[in-house]
Amino acid sequence: MTSLFLIVAVLAAVLLLFLASQVWGRYARRSDTLQTETGQLTEVDLEAFENLTDPEEEQYLRKNLSSAKFRRVQRTRLRAAKMYVAALSHNAVVLVAVGQTARSSADPAIAAAGQEIVQRAIRLRIWCLLSLLRMNAAFVFPAQLSPSGRLANQYMLVTYMAANLPGRVVA
Amino acid sequence: MDLQHFIFRYLFVAPHVLLIPVAIVMFRKALHRQFPVFFSYLCYEFLQFCVFYPILTRLLILPTWIYLDLDMFFKAGSTAFHFGILQELFESPVKHDDSLRKSSTRILRWVTVALVVMASAFIGFQYYRQAHLLPRSYASIEALNIAQCFLLVLVFLWHRFLGHKMSTFAFGIALGLGLTAFLEPFFSAWTDSRLMQRAFIPDFLWMGTYHCSVLIWLYYALASDKNIPRSGEGPSRHGSGGGSLIEMRESAAEMERLVRR
Repeated sequence: MTSLFLIVAVLAAVLLLFLASQVWGRYARRSDTLQTETGQLTEVDLEAFENLTDPEEEQYLRKNLSSAKFRRVQRTRLRAAKMYVAALSHNAVVLVAVGQTARSSADPAIAAAGQEIVQRAIRLRIWCLLSLLRMNAAFVFPAQLSPSGRLANQYMLVTYMAANLPGRVVA
Repeated sequence: MDLQHFIFRYLFVAPHVLLIPVAIVMFRKALHRQFPVFFSYLCYEFLQFCVFYPILTRLLILPTWIYLDLDMFFKAGSTAFHFGILQELFESPVKHDDSLRKSSTRILRWVTVALVVMASAFIGFQYYRQAHLLPRSYASIEALNIAQCFLLVLVFLWHRFLGHKMSTFAFGIALGLGLTAFLEPFFSAWTDSRLMQRAFIPDFLWMGTYHCSVLIWLYYALASDKNIPRSGEGPSRHGSGGGSLIEMRESAAEMERLVRR
């Protein structure tokens, strides 16, 4: 009887603390929101990223290296590619914030553009997560799985849209 | 009327009456379009109050079994609404993107099933192992309530992961719902544990918590901006700046074509 009560009491306390942290986070973050939105995105060398995830490049390495050496090289390439994806993922969050700021604009055109940026940036963020999962799997089986480089195109598109917001309200 | 009765009546009436201003503010700010399930939930809770008020004030006397069945029915309805609201909150960042919305609904459904199974196993184990005051039908509701707690945590984490700041009212809904969802299993277990002779205390605390939740909803409804529906608004209708959006979309499409080559 009391064991259920104790378990539920502890659970409720933990969840209430979580809720309090959410409230704190929302209002504490408000002060640095502007800084985040106007802050620079992490620089990503998309060409290098595309090179790391290029299937032709991978095919070339597979053909010209021994199996053991290919796995080693491929793992190094994946490690580097994961760093790029992490940077893209971080930038996607910044772009969501940029889109949200634009979305709350009084100008309907800017608001609509902001909405579009939010959608695409959210999509990019999810793709980054899936890509990271795939890369982790490819890290274990480098000979069987290849990373995808389609993220770079999506990233270029969203940053382009954010940079060309009507009225350029956001940096 | 003694103090205990007065507090009971206040805690029973006030939050339910306050649901009306919340609904009115939502309607005036067009938030009911953005959160239709939550709006329906407010109406449902008020209806529930209208049914139970005459029973609890003894204006209408019903046999206990009818009262318990009615209570169970409305509790089940509230729980179903809670799940609907959680889905509404979970989908809110991706609601304009059809494919993402469908995917997120699918993810949420699977997570819900997994959590309900785990919570039912936990509650089932606890209830069948020992004797309890509350009927077993209430135990299943409690299991669903525990599952809801974790779903609400998931909603917050999902927004955090996407870097999507919840709208003011969405945050208010989540906060109010969190308060009730996190404490309901606790008060229910407290009543059931017979730790305290005065069983009205957990009831009062529970009603007070619900009152706080309604006040939170009212505050955030008042604080939120008016919802101006933007979907379907063509850029040509916007006058200044409208052309630039068309241009931006065209160049984005062009760029998409280029990068796909």
